[in-house]
Amino acid sequence: MSVLVEEGPRLLAHLDEGPQLVHHRRRHPAPADMTLDRLAAAAEAADLRGRGGAGFPFATKLRTAARRRAVVVVNLSEGEPASHKDEALGQLRPHLVLDGAVLAAMALGTRQVHLVLPGETPAVGERIGAALAERGSSDRVSWQVHTAAAGFVSGQARAVIELMSGRPNLPVTAWVPEAVSGYRGRPTLLSNAETFAQLASIWAHGPDPATMLITRAGDTDRPRVLEVVLGGRWDAVLSPAELARPVLLGGYHGVWVPAGALANRRIAGEDLAGLGATLGAGVVLPLPEGSCPVHETVRIVDYLAGQSAGRCGPCRLGLPALARALDDIDRGVGSGALVDDLAATVRGRGACAHPDGTARLVVSLRRWFGDELALHQRQECGHGVLAAAG
Amino acid sequence: MASSRLRVDWPSCEGRGLCHELLPELISLDRWGFPVIAGEVPEELLPAARRTVAGCPRLALRLV
Amino acid sequence: MNGPELWFLNRATGVVLLVLMTLSVVLGILSARSRVGRGTPGFVRGVVHRNVAVLSMTMLTVHVVSAVVDTYVDIRWWDAFVPWGGLYQPVWLGLGALALDLTVAIAITSALRTRMPRALWRVIHLASYPAWAIAMVHGLGIGTDRAAGWSLVVTGLCIAAVVVAGTVRVGGAVVRAVRA
Repeated sequence: MSVLVEEGPRLLAHLDEGPQLVHHRRRHPAPADMTLDRLAAAAEAADLRGRGGAGFPFATKLRTAARRRAVVVVNLSEGEPASHKDEALGQLRPHLVLDGAVLAAMALGTRQVHLVLPGETPAVGERIGAALAERGSSDRVSWQVHTAAAGFVSGQARAVIELMSGRPNLPVTAWVPEAVSGYRGRPTLLSNAETFAQLASIWAHGPDPATMLITRAGDTDRPRVLEVVLGGRWDAVLSPAELARPVLLGGYHGVWVPAGALANRRIAGEDLAGLGATLGAGVVLPLPEGSCPVHETVRIVDYLAGQSAGRCGPCRLGLPALARALDDIDRGVGSGALVDDLAATVRGRGACAHPDGTARLVVSLRRWFGDELALHQRQECGHGVLAAAG
Repeated sequence: MASSRLRVDWPSCEGRGLCHELLPELISLDRWGFPVIAGEVPEELLPAARRTVAGCPRLALRLV
Repeated sequence: MNGPELWFLNRATGVVLLVLMTLSVVLGILSARSRVGRGTPGFVRGVVHRNVAVLSMTMLTVHVVSAVVDTYVDIRWWDAFVPWGGLYQPVWLGLGALALDLTVAIAITSALRTRMPRALWRVIHLASYPAWAIAMVHGLGIGTDRAAGWSLVVTGLCIAAVVVAGTVRVGGAVVRAVRA
């Protein structure tokens, strides 16, 4: 694997034991006797929220999808390039994810479970394939496997449903939530792999402690996946040096928080709300040593612009324009007003949240690093990083 | 009375601008010619909104 | 009923139909171009296209009724819809019926446009090209004026109009794609 995975309290417990079913079953009983109310109650007691980035309450989604001919979809595609937690789960704890999916299928009274694998990491598909073979037909569920295209938006819910339907793996407009009408018009419970893993863990071992998987990149050269207890302190994730620098929280669709902001806060939604941030997909990117938030944002927005599906005018045209406007500022020739204007123009005007997420990132840069931006507009940089001028 | 909103099916929209021609009270165009919807549809504009939905050559507008 | 008036009416409506249908097709081709603010507003062009098409339907009704009612030739009312089994010039008449069937399908789906999947509406609407072409061939084959100079001029202009409009639209799309 391209990432280091650290031992954790629940999902990443006992990593010395392999991913095989025999080890897993010693610690987690096979799913049985599951009803909608029991599973929803367990999810509610744990306040389980989706781990794909949006943080939607899982119990609500479960209840909404609890109608005839529902379908369960496990999203392992991990479109966010800085995130590796789904890859870690797929490789090391596949049965936890699969157990969660089976529990959900039982609760919904369906046998249809779809797994969406990451196109860029075939090793996950191999491991999942092996796990499915180990389980055989014991789950009384019909597994269907799909492989997502490489790319940021391939993991978006509607894009996944398009893939499952045999069409290009790109977003389309959702007139109703997929839990109401999704795959072939059927109620579709589509959630992130970690959400299902958490569900299985909660059912087997109760709601406490509530944990979350974090992917962090930093001064070590490989990204790391670790499991943190929600409500804990940030020094479990970041070194003191990193805490004293700006941090990008949530992923490329997350937001910046200013230097030192996390030092006295906990890993909890409430603490971050005041900063305009959420835990998102659990990606934590401290600003690399010697780099500059303006420069980093330019790089990320340029990447995000290139990842547009190209289906929606405001995104297809607006994101590259936004990237150019930011690049102009980075090189000292740009206008903050244009950046604000473009960020406001693209929000909410696409089939998916790709433009919204990009705009949020840019707005957070403008919010916290006004000084940095002003320096760049004078062709200086507080971190000594200057893009080539002109 | 349930409120009504105009929603754009963005993958279908090509920025032809007929919606703006038909309902300038609620629909303006951005710098690339794509519609910007300003808020919900008041009751007196509902008939006009329905005609605007029918008038889109790409059927990219819906009243929900 | 008999008499040259019905015959003239049928021929006249036939020629007018050719022009109207050409106009409708050309308007449809050109409606896909151009943004707001340049020339006629888009919705006006859309309304004119629709009105010309509706006018064509009226003209088509008169064209068919005048043929059926006329006892000089044996055209039954169902010959207008069923492309085979006609007694008078069955091949050319059949083509006319085929063009009518396509046109009626286009008209009905257009009336129900907002209540059907757009892809289905579009596929049927594309049948306006073959409908127009078949109608033209019907006119050339069954029409007794086909050799007349004015008839050839009108036919030629109609074909030219559609070809030019089509070239403009396809050419514009190619230019835009190359520039992108």
